Amino acid sequence: MATEQTGAATEPVLGVAPPDVMVAPAAAGTTPPLWPPVPRVVFIARVIIGVALSAAALYAPFYFQPTMNRVLSQAIYLAIAAMGLNLLLGFNGQVSIGHGAFYGVGAFTSAILMIDHGWSFEPTIIASALLTGVFGLLVGLPALRVRGLYLALVTLGLAVLFPRVAQKFVDGTGGRPLLRPSRKEFSSLIEGLADDQWVYFLSLAIMVVLFFLAWNLTRGRVGRAMVAVRDQELAASTVGVNLAGTKVATFAISAAYAGVAGSLSVMVDALADGTNPVLYFQRSIEFLVAMTIGGAATMLGPAVGALALVLLRRNTQDLIEGKEILAPAIYGASLIAFVFVLPEGVVGGVRRLLAWLGRRSSAKGRPPTHPIPDDSHDIGGPHERT
Amino acid sequence: MQLFIEQVLNGIGNGVVYGSVALALVLIFRTTGVLNFAQGEMALFSTYISWKLTETGLPVVGAIVISMLIAFVAGGVLQFTLIRPMEGRSQLNVVIVTLGLFLAINSLAQLFFGTDPQLMPSAFPSGGVDLFGGARIQKDTIGLIVVLLVECLALWVLLNKTKLGLKLRAVAADPVSARLHGIRAGWMLMFGWALAAMIGALAGSLVAAERTGFDATLMQIILVYALAAAALGGFDSIWGAVICGLIVGIADALTIQYVDALDGIEVVVPLGLILVVLIVSPNGLFGKRTVERV
Amino acid sequence: MRGHRTRAAAAALVALALLGSACSSRDDDDATTSGDESESEGAAESSIDTADCIDDPTVPIEGDTVKLVSSYPQSGATAAFAEIARGWESYFEKVNDEGGVEIAGESYQIEYEDMDDEYNPAETAANLDEMVPAGSDVFAVFSVVGTANNLAIRDQLGELCVPNVFAATGSPAWGNEDYPWTLGSSLSPYPLEGSMFASLLEDEKPDATVAMLVQDDDFGRAYEEGFAQAIEGTDIEVVKVERYQTGSADVSAQITSLADTDADAFFNGGTLLACPDALSRAKEAGWEPITWVSTTCTSQTLMGIAQDAGDGVYSAGNLKDPLNPDWDEDEAMVEYLDTVRQYRPEGFLETNAIVGYGYTQAAIFIEALEAAEEPTRLALMESVRNLEVSDAGLLLPGVTVSTSEGDPYFGETLQLLQYEFTGPDDRNHFVPTGDLVDFEGETVEVTPEDLING
Repeated sequence: MATEQTGAATEPVLGVAPPDVMVAPAAAGTTPPLWPPVPRVVFIARVIIGVALSAAALYAPFYFQPTMNRVLSQAIYLAIAAMGLNLLLGFNGQVSIGHGAFYGVGAFTSAILMIDHGWSFEPTIIASALLTGVFGLLVGLPALRVRGLYLALVTLGLAVLFPRVAQKFVDGTGGRPLLRPSRKEFSSLIEGLADDQWVYFLSLAIMVVLFFLAWNLTRGRVGRAMVAVRDQELAASTVGVNLAGTKVATFAISAAYAGVAGSLSVMVDALADGTNPVLYFQRSIEFLVAMTIGGAATMLGPAVGALALVLLRRNTQDLIEGKEILAPAIYGASLIAFVFVLPEGVVGGVRRLLAWLGRRSSAKGRPPTHPIPDDSHDIGGPHERT
Repeated sequence: MQLFIEQVLNGIGNGVVYGSVALALVLIFRTTGVLNFAQGEMALFSTYISWKLTETGLPVVGAIVISMLIAFVAGGVLQFTLIRPMEGRSQLNVVIVTLGLFLAINSLAQLFFGTDPQLMPSAFPSGGVDLFGGARIQKDTIGLIVVLLVECLALWVLLNKTKLGLKLRAVAADPVSARLHGIRAGWMLMFGWALAAMIGALAGSLVAAERTGFDATLMQIILVYALAAAALGGFDSIWGAVICGLIVGIADALTIQYVDALDGIEVVVPLGLILVVLIVSPNGLFGKRTVERV
Repeated sequence: MRGHRTRAAAAALVALALLGSACSSRDDDDATTSGDESESEGAAESSIDTADCIDDPTVPIEGDTVKLVSSYPQSGATAAFAEIARGWESYFEKVNDEGGVEIAGESYQIEYEDMDDEYNPAETAANLDEMVPAGSDVFAVFSVVGTANNLAIRDQLGELCVPNVFAATGSPAWGNEDYPWTLGSSLSPYPLEGSMFASLLEDEKPDATVAMLVQDDDFGRAYEEGFAQAIEGTDIEVVKVERYQTGSADVSAQITSLADTDADAFFNGGTLLACPDALSRAKEAGWEPITWVSTTCTSQTLMGIAQDAGDGVYSAGNLKDPLNPDWDEDEAMVEYLDTVRQYRPEGFLETNAIVGYGYTQAAIFIEALEAAEEPTRLALMESVRNLEVSDAGLLLPGVTVSTSEGDPYFGETLQLLQYEFTGPDDRNHFVPTGDLVDFEGETVEVTPEDLING
């Protein structure tokens, strides 16, 4: 009577469990070693990758023109939001297609505080984080009961609703929901850094802090609780994981990340826009895509995915002169190609490669059947980025 | 009172639209366990094919039938080439593929059929029918209702009263044990997509005719309401999708008429409705309860 | 092991960071004009304050090309707007082939570049940042599509003092004197449509009750409040206003609500598919008011979709309609069709009004260039702000588009139009009725202040 269990098909939808992340459930009472021994080759490769990435991140704004720096800064705020979603979906197993709405709330909070209340930009980021955190909490509460596909759809509704609410209630430039703080507000505060470089470094610094926090969060007790809830919800609750608390808190934190991303977007794009009814839905999708093509439930994944996404979007745009109409097709096709080639995202792919290298280099290495440990924190540690 | 009835009729007119698209969503979900974000755009593309065929002088019904057959094949091909390789992988990969399809199909539709809005001829006679109390209902709305009911009945029979339907559902519920029972799961999944694409083609072609005109954005708003209807109905219930499509449509129309404070944000009503329903009953109004095993 | 790694990485990073900041290779390209404070003679008599300009707008063009850039949707939901550019591109190509445009005795070729913004304001701003950095050789920004899109770029272009002209929207915001570098096009300002309809009703039915359908944004407000201003002091009364969500193509519930009032007149402020849908639904409901449709709805495609439901509706315009057989022998019309067919032959609808609109903007722009006293951005802006053009492109006979000190709006002379539907396969079109109405200088009076200066 398999036919009566159609509900069983409901569960796995969007409830991701990347196959290579085999964190032992806390329920079993075992604690996975935080720093499992790694073969030397893998270790060296990681150091090289880390150093190279950080160096590139620091040198890039001096190498590129302002236009490209803006694109990179967009990748950074996208990465922060994708990391927020990663905490929620990748680590905690709760779906949201509504993070575009949190992002929007963040953007409008910053813009309104700056324009109507004379705040300078930096403190508005904190206000956005707090406000979106509270919103996340409010959305997280019903999410305790509504889950999986249904949660995806309810949150999708938020993303669809947000620009309409903005359109109705925000009175920006001449009655339009378009808020544009003066660009002077975002001028460089450091001698020798051009405005675009300043924007980039400020975004980067905030990203590093937030990624560090996420890394800290996921490797500790809280992180194990989050993962346990994702993998074995009922089992986790029977062994004393505070189910509701963990889920709601994750939702709030995750939303706050999206809110900060929204704030930064006001700086990078110099506007908060409520005129486009599908923009925030698109954003939600972009967060999801960035997280997935970078590598779900990994630390570097959102950043890599965001960068890949932004570059893809940009480079497909004016690719074929006279046939611009095809841009979305090329963009869509490249997304599909991406998951075909790298099903576990870029980070998953790299990790697989490193594991393979490790097995080859040490004959006495672990047996090939051994699951690859969740040591993603090793690659994405903040020490390589600062 | 007449005004109220007229608005309810408006709501039904739109509700049938949402219901037809929700039906395709539910069908694909029931038979393959996938939420297909590209469903609306696939339907859009088929609608353009129907329209193009009518432009060449083909009668509307014939054009729609041909377009449905093309959609059937195309749906199967899409499943075979793009979805099947995702088997055994994270569901997120499937979601990304359907999102990629969403973007690609929409853009290809604009490339092949142009960006200007078009007029899809109706398969039903034009004009209205007078009802009690002076209210009028359009004949193409009646036609849409009839088609939808026939569709539902056919699908219900297919899924619940035939061997094929049993196999389809078995595969969706558990591909592995279905295979062990000798069911060719690959074929069934492909058939599910093909069927949903075909239903989408029908829905799109009729919806475009019911609307005054259509362009590449036809499905954007409809998809949101259809998703709402599907969620409200419990996502795996055919009748639930249709009934909830009507509920969503009627609620929307009445909000526009009677709640001025929600002008422009009427979409709040269906969303609020879903939220409340889901909190009370996490599997929607018509969904089956799931038993969780530890 | 961990500590060791961290320290090594940190050391390497510090080294790299120092290295990075030391070789700021890109500075070579940053050719800003700071330090070049040449006082120009022209600036003294200009009405535009150029003191804070990042780029000096009085520097003449180098070389013999006038470089224009534009940004408009070329993919996505609103890609149809790209057809505007097919019109102006062909006109510029024609000018180039005929020897170019003459500014202050010198001949220049027109060069243009465009980017796709998918109608997304943030994207428009980014595109313009890329195409018009400080110190660029771009002479002007031309025909950027969309109200929000132009609002998103007017700060940056204003600071650079680069002209942003012929913005392809009828928003009244282009009259904001704080942004002298941004101006609209010959499209009439939206609030004037209300004035036009009011004057029509005064003639036809002075005590009319009016029901309005408007989009739920500033575009809708321009109609709603513009019309309210226009009927002040008359016996015309608005009995009901319904709003619809931007992007919605179905307004059946709104029309049922409006039809229920059985108003004498219907102001259909719908745009895109909402407009023909409103007409059809009104017809289905058996409601037969005196109907006005938004000028954004007067296109062949949209009215074609409305079919017979569009018969008899009014609107306004100032261009010759390629569909109107009266113009078949008209010299300007023949030239227009020849030009677009020659230079942009690939499949698009040359009879579509927005192609003719783009073409006409190019014609007016060329006249503005020729009227400029010198080949500088400032002189161009002065010229565009003090323009008087008639008989350019497809402008109707007798229509003058003009700007002057204190009146930055172009399309203030309007012709009343009425749609004639004779059969689904005919050349259905709008027929000019009555005399031209001149609202010169009146846009400011009928527009709520915050829609202009907000």
